[in-house]
Amino acid sequence: MQHLVGQASSNSSSAASASPVRLRPSPSSRRDQQHRERDAPAAAMADEHQELARAFSGMGGLGVDEAAVVSAVGRWRRQPEKRTQFRRSFPGFFTATSGGGGVMERCEDEYVRQLEAEFARFKDAAVLWAMHPWERDARWAHHVLHKAHPPAVLVEVACTRAADDLLGARRAYHALYHRSLEEDVAYRVRDASAALLVGLVSAYRYEGTRVSEELAKEEAKALAAAVKSASATGAKLVQNDLVVRVLATRSKPQLRATFRIYKELNGKTLEEDFAGELCLQEAVKCLDSPARYFGELINGAFKDGADKQAKAALTRVVVSRSEADMEEIKDAYAKQFGAKLTDAVAKNAHGHYKDALLAMIGK
Amino acid sequence: MATITVPQVVPSSAEDAAALMKAFQGWGTDEKAVIAILAHRNSFQRKEIMLEYEEMYNESLIQRLQSELSGDFERAMYHWILDPMERQAVMANAATKCIQEEYKIIVEIACVNSPAELVAIKKAYHVIYKCSLEEDVAARTRGNLRSLLLALVSTYRYDGDDVDMGLAKSEAKIVHEAVRNGTTDHEELIRVVGTRSKAQLKATFSCFRDEHGTSITKALPHGTDRTGYLHALRTALRCIVDGNKYFAKVLRTATRNSGTDEDTLTRVIVVHAEKDMKDISAAFQKRASCTLQEAIAKETSGDYKSFLMALLGS
Repeated sequence: MQHLVGQASSNSSSAASASPVRLRPSPSSRRDQQHRERDAPAAAMADEHQELARAFSGMGGLGVDEAAVVSAVGRWRRQPEKRTQFRRSFPGFFTATSGGGGVMERCEDEYVRQLEAEFARFKDAAVLWAMHPWERDARWAHHVLHKAHPPAVLVEVACTRAADDLLGARRAYHALYHRSLEEDVAYRVRDASAALLVGLVSAYRYEGTRVSEELAKEEAKALAAAVKSASATGAKLVQNDLVVRVLATRSKPQLRATFRIYKELNGKTLEEDFAGELCLQEAVKCLDSPARYFGELINGAFKDGADKQAKAALTRVVVSRSEADMEEIKDAYAKQFGAKLTDAVAKNAHGHYKDALLAMIGK
Repeated sequence: MATITVPQVVPSSAEDAAALMKAFQGWGTDEKAVIAILAHRNSFQRKEIMLEYEEMYNESLIQRLQSELSGDFERAMYHWILDPMERQAVMANAATKCIQEEYKIIVEIACVNSPAELVAIKKAYHVIYKCSLEEDVAARTRGNLRSLLLALVSTYRYDGDDVDMGLAKSEAKIVHEAVRNGTTDHEELIRVVGTRSKAQLKATFSCFRDEHGTSITKALPHGTDRTGYLHALRTALRCIVDGNKYFAKVLRTATRNSGTDEDTLTRVIVVHAEKDMKDISAAFQKRASCTLQEAIAKETSGDYKSFLMALLGS
């Protein structure tokens, strides 16, 4: 994509393979280029096309720059040749066809899909924002179960919400789907992580501050023993009764004490010792340091090669945490990635979508 | 339907509190007066009396009752005066302390209450004990018993009447498979019993009976199981299928065997007197040679008997 985005700096300039649409120079665009060099504002025209392409496709960011599109629409009114030039300079988005009496550039299906996804980002954010938090969580959980998406979202919802909010989400799930969340999780998840996931979504944790250091020590030791035994036998810790029991029933303050003592006793964190068991690591992260977890998710949306799931996480995290722990997330993000979250969003998102996110993140 | 009776015109909570204080004064306690008031007030009224008493006399009514009364009567009155959700939380907590013997109380509480009531009980548990019922149950049990108890206690069942008959048929098969295998490999059975809505479960058990000619509880293996898992499972199934019949049986056992089981009588009557004791009484009478009140009158005595009879509406 180098030749297309050219001078305009872009996040995705480095990886041509990042975009699902492969863009190659075509003979027609080279000819056009010669024409353009003859015309007066040739370089400006090329720039204009590139800017419009950036704004109009989600290349190098998320969302659509609606203002740029409207501006182009205005500027190029009654100048179909300008639009033709635009289409011809992006052979990845538009393919030349012949036959039937003339040449035209048809829209690639992939481009249309991409465009729809990018235009929808603002709509999705707005719709989610308007929903009751419990309904949002119930819908995300249902989405995971019925579209076979990674269980990380279930872990996220189960472990980062307050006890009464998770209960509320389960109540919303009843109202929406006429089943309980746990019955659907238990029925549909058939892999090793089933017991843990059912336990996590069924939790109604004590939310007070009382912590027993003695219990934390006892359970930290027991967990260390389980980790050691699993590494010897190759058993999966996600199916270990003790691990599931502790993670699914203890209060969050109690768990944090346990995790702290674990590190003191063993030198490594429990998260590190759960290496190779993604579900467990996610659970520990969400229970122990949700702000850090959310910061990483947000950053994942900005990366080159971020897939649909990774990009959707940006909307989900900002909308769901905007009125919860957004300040902690901003701090964690700055600490981990050395940049202000608002700056990163401003750089990586476009248009109304960007504005909505920034409004939800706050100063 | 409840069996307790509340007078048409209820004295103010201040009047009741004063009357209670009068009953405590002097030599000994006027137990009849205490019963005449407290056994005829609903939970809201009892709470008002407690608050008013504390305001007026600067002491806790519960503690005063505990010092003035004794024995089975005191235990019954202590549980009675509590808020219904707190009461069951207290009973659940006592059961977790000797869970290998008393797990059936946990099963009863988890299976007989509505989903919303179970949540309220768990919330009360948080407040009183500063930890969750789930963690206490899970930490003190192992194996299948833990899996079953934890599932029953944690679930927040769908409360509606929607039933999927196709699913009921397929899960009846699953249940049959598990039951045939003894007690190994009960994951699926625990999944079904621990998560499905009560309406769905009733449909499943109904399919089971249609398919195999016997009820699910009768189909369970009858051997002794030291872990208690089978007994807990049987209790859960009976509570889910017909709670009234279950408690009627519990009461018959408590009043029939040599030596009355006052703790059980207290537990069942105090919890259900303001809930559905009428239905339990009716179920009791179906299978017994006398009414519940006659059985209680025969097997208990003194103030304890007077109190239970008052709760039963005599």
